[in-house]
Amino acid sequence: MGNSFAMLMDGFQTAFTPTNLMFGLLGTFLGTLVGVLPGIGPALAIGLLLPITLTVNPTSALIMFAAIYYGAMYGGSTTSILLNTPGESGSVITALEGNKMAKAGRAGAALATAAIGSFVAGTIATLLLAFGAPTLAEFALTIQPAGYLSLIILAFATVGTLLGASRIRGLVALAVGLVIGLVGADLQSGALRLTFGNLNAIDGIETVTVIVAIFALGEALYLASRHSLVPVEVLKMRGKAWMTKDDFRRSWKPWLRGTAIGFPLGVIPAGGSEVPTFLSYGVEKALSKNKDEFGKGAIEGVAGPEAANNANAAGVLVPMLALGLPTSATAAVVLVAFQSFNIQPGPMLFQTNPEIVWGLIASLFIGNALLLVLNLPLIRFWVLLLKIPSHYLYAGITTFALLGAYALNNSTFDLQVALAVGFIGYLFRRFGVPITPLIIGVILGPLAELYFKRSLQISQGDWHILIDGSFPKVIYATLFLVIIGPLVWNFKKKFAVKK
Amino acid sequence: MISKISKQGKGELVFASSLFLLGIFVAWDTSKMDIPQGSSIVSPQAFPYIVAFFTSLVGLALVLEVLRGRYATPDGNEPGDQFVPANFKTMAILVTAIGLHVILLEIAGYVVAATLCFWGVAFAFGSRKYLKDFGISLVFAGIVYFSFTKGLNINLPSGFFEGILGK
Repeated sequence: MGNSFAMLMDGFQTAFTPTNLMFGLLGTFLGTLVGVLPGIGPALAIGLLLPITLTVNPTSALIMFAAIYYGAMYGGSTTSILLNTPGESGSVITALEGNKMAKAGRAGAALATAAIGSFVAGTIATLLLAFGAPTLAEFALTIQPAGYLSLIILAFATVGTLLGASRIRGLVALAVGLVIGLVGADLQSGALRLTFGNLNAIDGIETVTVIVAIFALGEALYLASRHSLVPVEVLKMRGKAWMTKDDFRRSWKPWLRGTAIGFPLGVIPAGGSEVPTFLSYGVEKALSKNKDEFGKGAIEGVAGPEAANNANAAGVLVPMLALGLPTSATAAVVLVAFQSFNIQPGPMLFQTNPEIVWGLIASLFIGNALLLVLNLPLIRFWVLLLKIPSHYLYAGITTFALLGAYALNNSTFDLQVALAVGFIGYLFRRFGVPITPLIIGVILGPLAELYFKRSLQISQGDWHILIDGSFPKVIYATLFLVIIGPLVWNFKKKFAVKK
Repeated sequence: MISKISKQGKGELVFASSLFLLGIFVAWDTSKMDIPQGSSIVSPQAFPYIVAFFTSLVGLALVLEVLRGRYATPDGNEPGDQFVPANFKTMAILVTAIGLHVILLEIAGYVVAATLCFWGVAFAFGSRKYLKDFGISLVFAGIVYFSFTKGLNINLPSGFFEGILGK
């Protein structure tokens, strides 16, 4: 605990150097930008900027990526409130009440409670991250390969079944991701899989190419196919983004409750920001004294979910940093960013690269404060961005995505892969299949295989090792209780109704 | 039973079946894998077989789901929304624009490829101000080219303009 505090102070010294501050500021700016713009999210933005890892030093680059991650949460709420088309999945709930508030002329209060709530939740959650992640990392040092495998399987199950409306479709996305992850030479034996004799495919498919293509090209293809390009109405914002005393009185409890819901659900692999924001909305609706206002623009319905969304974002960083397990698309890209510097997030990270990881955590505090400043007084500037015509927006996103796919290896093979993956992204959107499980599959699939092989090597081929020991047993028991249990229960309920 | 399936269901049935076939295909590819001599205890085929089995399984489950009439809700739709058939014309324009970029990039250089791609995507998305779009495309491609090559020191193909733009 005390040690963490001293390390955090060192982290602030790292983060406060002019170069790192500049990259942090740039990141918050870019993050808000991509959060505000529909069609481009933080995962895509970081993916597009990954080529800078070739020329920028690790600390500065990672500080910028983390700032983009946080910034997009702030920007996303602006779009939800004023446009009613959420910029990213965590803001879907915000649109429910936020857009109603904006229609009733209370856009300023909605934006303010979203920004201040995000700041409060982000700061508390980052504190929890600073003290929780090293503790978890210390514990994680004792986890055996079989234990890691069980954690990855738990992450697969939760991300696959909790996202989106349909469990089967989430698992479909996971399966396709695992198949993409197979392509290339097997790490240990060098045996080739699914390469079709193509030399470029031996190194496998670049995760970044997959991420960039599935988000940017998939979305562009899907929107083009629907051709639903009716200009959306941007609601006017009167007055300043600020709230009255009464708004404050109604907001502070939802902020804290949102934090309490969002952070733990980010730490355990609960599958993205939809679940915590939705839960927070439900809690606020149940506890509110103004229940009749819900659905017509209740400020609690913006304050709670927005806080939950930001706290969740910080929570996701805990397993990402301490275990090397990303549970959201954005965390997955940040993990790739670490890897492109040859740094492997996981239990050893806090010992091998303390200056980077603590600089990163400290920069999150600074970024949060900067974001509050960027978002409250400068809100009008961001609103202007919503007026960019969608054909230029998608032309820019598509061209940028192709650049991001190409610049990583200077290879046109990556571009062909991008086009193919973009088409998969189109099919997924068309058939209601969520995207995140695919990305988790691509990233964690090879890792699962690695731990699978290591376990069996330790046991000389005895499969019992996979469920041996108390840690994997606890994880698999949790898996049964949380995923398989409810499935059976649902089935029974359906059966009972039929009778 | 199949005859009752709507147009939307048919498309999804093809999608679901191809997932099932993907699993079979992965299993087939794995069975033909060249395993180098002196491999470790765990065969490099073990994990791909698990993935292949899982993929076929969920593919099959999705086929059953569709046959039972539980269709997908396309992204951005609410459950029960009217089904809108895809506009393949705009999609084709978009794919052409991206394809041209892929082909032209290393032949004609980044600025040419990106300008055409930007212009083509804007066209696919319904913009009909050809000249204005061309100007914006060119400026966009130029700014990106210079900020990447000069600002970030990341090389991009210069193509025709090698002499003029510098390397």
